[in-house]
Amino acid sequence: MTAWNDSAGGKRVSAILKSRPFLTLAIVAAVWIVASFVSRGFGAYGHLRYLVELGAVIGLVAAGQTFVVIAGGIDLSVAAIVTVSAISLPLLSWQADTTGLVSVLAVLALTTAIGVVNGLGVALLRVHPMIMTLAMATFLQGLLIIIAGGSAVTAENPLVHWLGNARPAGIPAGIILWIAVSAIVLTVMHATPFGARIFAMGANPLAASLSGVPITSTTLAVYGISGFTAGLAGVLVLGMNGQGYVGIGDPYLLASIAAVVLGGTSILGGLGTYAGTIPGAVLLVTITALITVVNASPGWRSILFGSLILGLLLLSGREQARR
Amino acid sequence: MSIVPSAKPAGALYWPVQAHRNIGVRALFLVVLAFLVAYGVLFPGLFTASGFAKFTQSWFPLALVAMAQAILMLTGGISLAIGATVSLGAVIAATTMAGPLGVAGGTAAVALTGLGIGAATGFIVVKLRLPAIVVTLAGSFIIGGAALLILPRPGGVIPAWLSDLLAGDTPAAFMLLVVIVVLWKLYLATPLGLSLYAAGENPVGAYRSGVPVDAARVAAYAISGLLSTGAGLFVAAQTGSGDPVIGTAFTLNSIAAAVLGGIGFLGGQGTMRGALAGSLLLSLMISVMFFLGFTPVAQYVAQGLIIIGAVAIPQIRKVQK
Repeated sequence: MTAWNDSAGGKRVSAILKSRPFLTLAIVAAVWIVASFVSRGFGAYGHLRYLVELGAVIGLVAAGQTFVVIAGGIDLSVAAIVTVSAISLPLLSWQADTTGLVSVLAVLALTTAIGVVNGLGVALLRVHPMIMTLAMATFLQGLLIIIAGGSAVTAENPLVHWLGNARPAGIPAGIILWIAVSAIVLTVMHATPFGARIFAMGANPLAASLSGVPITSTTLAVYGISGFTAGLAGVLVLGMNGQGYVGIGDPYLLASIAAVVLGGTSILGGLGTYAGTIPGAVLLVTITALITVVNASPGWRSILFGSLILGLLLLSGREQARR
Repeated sequence: MSIVPSAKPAGALYWPVQAHRNIGVRALFLVVLAFLVAYGVLFPGLFTASGFAKFTQSWFPLALVAMAQAILMLTGGISLAIGATVSLGAVIAATTMAGPLGVAGGTAAVALTGLGIGAATGFIVVKLRLPAIVVTLAGSFIIGGAALLILPRPGGVIPAWLSDLLAGDTPAAFMLLVVIVVLWKLYLATPLGLSLYAAGENPVGAYRSGVPVDAARVAAYAISGLLSTGAGLFVAAQTGSGDPVIGTAFTLNSIAAAVLGGIGFLGGQGTMRGALAGSLLLSLMISVMFFLGFTPVAQYVAQGLIIIGAVAIPQIRKVQK
């Protein structure tokens, strides 16, 4: 980090080259180049664009997860929240709402509220984040079956349909949404007092509290953001799929955590950036796509996926020894 | 602990230390006792030989995975792969025991797999310094995939006499649990076992005092793997066959039981008897909800609420003090 204090431009460049986000980006580029030589059609513009579009869902879920992890917590309820969002959206629609905007906002309010409840449990009841969010996931899982009754629901919401299928200027709307969210997240994280408080809280909650960081409201905000972005991802995945069903969000739990860690954010909190999570999310969908190309049985696919994540962790996810 | 210089013989310190450790879990023991009494009143069948056998059998696998999780949490680790490891143990048992390996060979295969998986996980987490949550989350995919390879759909056979012995009208499960608890006590008396708490509570201090921190943590992962595949073997014996996803629910339940039992996430806090009591409480709650006719869905909702409540109440009381 000393390189940042030197005004010499060369040192700044070398610091960027050595940083975790850049390393993850380099891995993505290397995998794409190798894969496009090995498998014809992988490197086509349309295919890569599709990969990034899929990555947008993971990237959105992982945005909230990055906030939570940097603040020293973890959110294991994101998969359930994605499902809640995708299933409750068709239920929360009104005839008068022709654009579908109101029901999307209602769903986002609902998922944000779920996140805030997580935050209340962590901050006020002092339940460990892992227990609080796992219990929330269990709770939501039961609730979802009651609401949806196990059948798939179809969305007839113009806004959601546009989000999942439209391509203004050739770029899928999902990617545009992701770019917008990324810009906001990076600004909030690195250029606002709120962002600084999150890093302080994750590095040392006691010191942060003594220095005047409002721990309770910051925790509520962080889990609320996670609920919000998971809800947004649910809306997007509903638009892309056209249908919502119980279990639609399940793949995004491991994916969101893996994207955060592969991007160089410390799972212990206090260290990291969303700039690493973005290539981390793209890397994950790339791995999934490669495994699909290999055409193996579900068992082998699962083994390959786990092993590749583990191997990539060795490259970029190691914790520095804190001795 | 017992190294404190003292004129008393070493044994004299044992009970005060144990009593001190009991302080945190005393309330829990009372709650478990109350639940047991209520359960016994509601369902008097508990006090017959077969009722007792059935009850301990429904508790046994949860007790094993709670111990598997607790030993990791005591060293400051955690595993999100317990459920997958239970499934793998179940499918290995169901595919080997009826074959040429026989029951003895199958049990050995299950035990060696558990030890091997645990040791490998421990090596990756401890020696390669990767975060345990992510390693075990990725590991759950690898282990779950292996279980799917061995047995793509539910099937396989467990010899009928073994099912009768473990899950019939005998208190074999309870006896096994007693044996495991005795073995745990013996393990705590070995150098590695003694290092367990030290490695969890203050790894740097323990390392500087010459405690084999890394070895203790890797050994904890190996034992945890063994307990998990053992639970899988038992589950397979209960159902009479193997199922590649049967263990999924054990991941959350193992963490919940350990935390209900007063095991802390930071390492070195809590006791194994607390974790066992926590697993008993959880098992009782699940049984009571089942007998009261809760649908599986309502059980999910109630379980989520109860876990949060049970964890939150002691924390709130601590803050108020």
